[in-house]
Amino acid sequence: MRKLLRHETILAVLVVLALIVLASQSDKFFTLDNILNQGRLMTEVGLIAVIMTFVIVTGGIDLSVGSILGLVAILIGVFWKNMGLPLPMAIGLGLVVGTFAGFINGIIITRFRVPPLIATLGTLALYRGIAEGISEARSVRGYPDWFFVLGQGQVLGVPTQLWLFGIVAVIAAIVLGYTTWGRATYAIGSNETAARFSGLRVDWIKIAIYSSSGFAAALAAAIFVSRVSTTRSDMGAGVELDAITAVVLGGTSIFGGRGTIVGTVLGLILIQALKNGLSLAGVKSDGTIVLIGAVLILTILISNLFHRNGNR
Amino acid sequence: MTALVKLEGLSKSFAGIRVLKDVDFDVQPGEVHALLGENGAGKSTLIKIIAGVHAPDGGVIRIGNEELKAITPHEAAKGGIATVYQELLLFPELTVAENVFLGHAPKTRLRTLDWSQMRRRARQLLDSLDSPDLDVDVKVGTLSVANRQRVEIAKALSQDAKVLIMDEPTAALADADVRRLMTVIKRLRERGVGIIYVSHKLPEIFELADRVTVLRDGALIGTRAIGDVTEQSLVAMMVGREIGQLFPKPEPQVGETLLKVSNLSFGDRVRDISFELKRGEILGVAGLVGSGRTELALTIFGITPATSGTIEIEGRAVTISTPKQARNLGIAYVPEDRGLQGLVKPMTIGQNISMAALHRITNGIFINFKAEAQRAADAISQLGIRARGPEQVVGQLSGGNQQKVVLGKWLETEPRILIMDEPTRGIDVGAKAEIHALMGRLAQKGMAILMISSELPEVLGMSDRVLVLHGGRLVTTIDRAHANPESVGAAMTRATLAQEAA
Repeated sequence: MRKLLRHETILAVLVVLALIVLASQSDKFFTLDNILNQGRLMTEVGLIAVIMTFVIVTGGIDLSVGSILGLVAILIGVFWKNMGLPLPMAIGLGLVVGTFAGFINGIIITRFRVPPLIATLGTLALYRGIAEGISEARSVRGYPDWFFVLGQGQVLGVPTQLWLFGIVAVIAAIVLGYTTWGRATYAIGSNETAARFSGLRVDWIKIAIYSSSGFAAALAAAIFVSRVSTTRSDMGAGVELDAITAVVLGGTSIFGGRGTIVGTVLGLILIQALKNGLSLAGVKSDGTIVLIGAVLILTILISNLFHRNGNR
Repeated sequence: MTALVKLEGLSKSFAGIRVLKDVDFDVQPGEVHALLGENGAGKSTLIKIIAGVHAPDGGVIRIGNEELKAITPHEAAKGGIATVYQELLLFPELTVAENVFLGHAPKTRLRTLDWSQMRRRARQLLDSLDSPDLDVDVKVGTLSVANRQRVEIAKALSQDAKVLIMDEPTAALADADVRRLMTVIKRLRERGVGIIYVSHKLPEIFELADRVTVLRDGALIGTRAIGDVTEQSLVAMMVGREIGQLFPKPEPQVGETLLKVSNLSFGDRVRDISFELKRGEILGVAGLVGSGRTELALTIFGITPATSGTIEIEGRAVTISTPKQARNLGIAYVPEDRGLQGLVKPMTIGQNISMAALHRITNGIFINFKAEAQRAADAISQLGIRARGPEQVVGQLSGGNQQKVVLGKWLETEPRILIMDEPTRGIDVGAKAEIHALMGRLAQKGMAILMISSELPEVLGMSDRVLVLHGGRLVTTIDRAHANPESVGAAMTRATLAQEAA
């Protein structure tokens, strides 16, 4: 009975309801083309949100992901065009830089005991500033055709990046749910002191998670560049808020200790479906934002209500 | 004389479980009425009903001559009922005077706060509580637990409390502060305040109480005048059976040295401490609060790695700079603060028990959930943890059972050296005896146990030798044969030779 009232279940019901209502509003909504295309649009935020789930489960937050995305996007362009490196190497280097940017977040948070909100608020400005300094407001275009397979192409009829997202999400779900790393992540979020006293490598795990968050943002950057065929330094601005919204909508406690990847994926789908379905139904985009905000608050309210009843 | 508060036939259920059954209880003016019972006996529920936090399902409450079905917090305040909770509810960023008068501060004619009157009255209240040294202008956050408690009592008195409920007031106090609190309570009694005193510590109850009421499993076992009971009869009333021996200690089989600490220091908290711990031995560590007992444990366990000195395990020099290293060397630490350091309360018993030994239930990557549940079930039956099963959340267990979970977690690591910091703090008599018996059995099996405790009877009852610390230094080591309250107490308070030598 308790299992049935879990946040994920409530959310899944909500997703199905939303899909039914939205499908009745526009006959374009439930076409295979549209669904796959929406999956394509969801991937960048999705990759970031999946790793953000780990970050938030530890009781932390990573606001710098949007800036890392922008920085890596610029660097891919600069490495390839200005420095003449082969594109695969440029992408590889971009992933390294993104991971390193996340690693720095982790070091600031664990070594210098800066609260994650402050630390990543700082690097949000820092990384964006570096990206803008490097780009000098120029954009890079003219990527080779093979590169667009990543962001615009298909594999077996499904958008390439959706495969990538699926693989990352499945691995993340397994790691969080079934491994000692996942267990340690929950323990840190519920009671960091007790986790430390139990001999868990708290700092090491946190650094690994923030580094992964940087890596996810960098991967999202490569996909983003490939999807829109160009590189600009303002890419990814505000992505952190979309990702956090999906994670929290998915039932992850902002105080840490609770949350699942399945919830995050459901959260992502609900948001994307609302955005797309409402625009197809002719609702203006500001109306959509209002609705997403309302859905977020309502879902959490309902979930808390059930949770409280379940406890007493 | 009319009772200040009188409860008749009180009942209360939570989610279908009856936690109080037909309980009678009353407080007279000018008496200390002790409320005793094991954890889960219904003491907390009873005092919360009197304080107006919970409404009873049945029964009658009389405050003075007024008859009520339930007390609201407002009526409790009006009736002069105040509570000093175990976890003190003060505002750390406000001053002493502000905390005392929060919500009912004296006002000037212009309806602004009358600061001078507020400070003057706070001063008077604290003086009347034997605390002329307590400054009314300091922030409460900077005060010691004992001083914060006095502020809380002053706050209760500032509202003209006639009934004062004290929930485990000495749980976190050092001996000297306990003495002082006793004086304060006796003074309040002389003024005609009725005091409901909840505590596990029987000596305090014999010193203070006029009457004692024992609850067990939500039922009233009896109310007696203090002269009519003995320590044994009270314990029997509480647990419903005779507890054979207070400190069941089997004959120790002391073997070779397992842990050798030489000149160990951590800053100025732990200074130049040397001792040996042998297989099968229980080595007690006594000392006042701030003497460096816990700090010594934290240094050996790698939370605050040693700044100088050496640690040898089985004759081999080791460096310990993280708890993980300590664990891998076979050291376990059952910490002082169960809720903060020992357990992840929102997690299940199974998850907590496996937490320090995750490697035992994985194949390197994946957790074997079946093995985890099995090991937890084993621990539950071996340690006698009273729980619904491995899936139950630890936060729902009583203190004694939580402590057994912490112990179970560390026994999973198969330690050779077990450090126990306040192993029975805040635990009821029955669970206490079980944990003591378990310690005896573990030592007999060859485990070396370092036991830190501020309860002298526990130190004397369980230890083969006693280390006495003062100001971060080892004052002396006393054998079981020579350890008595006088010798250990004297060493704890008077730093002798060791300090002069330094």
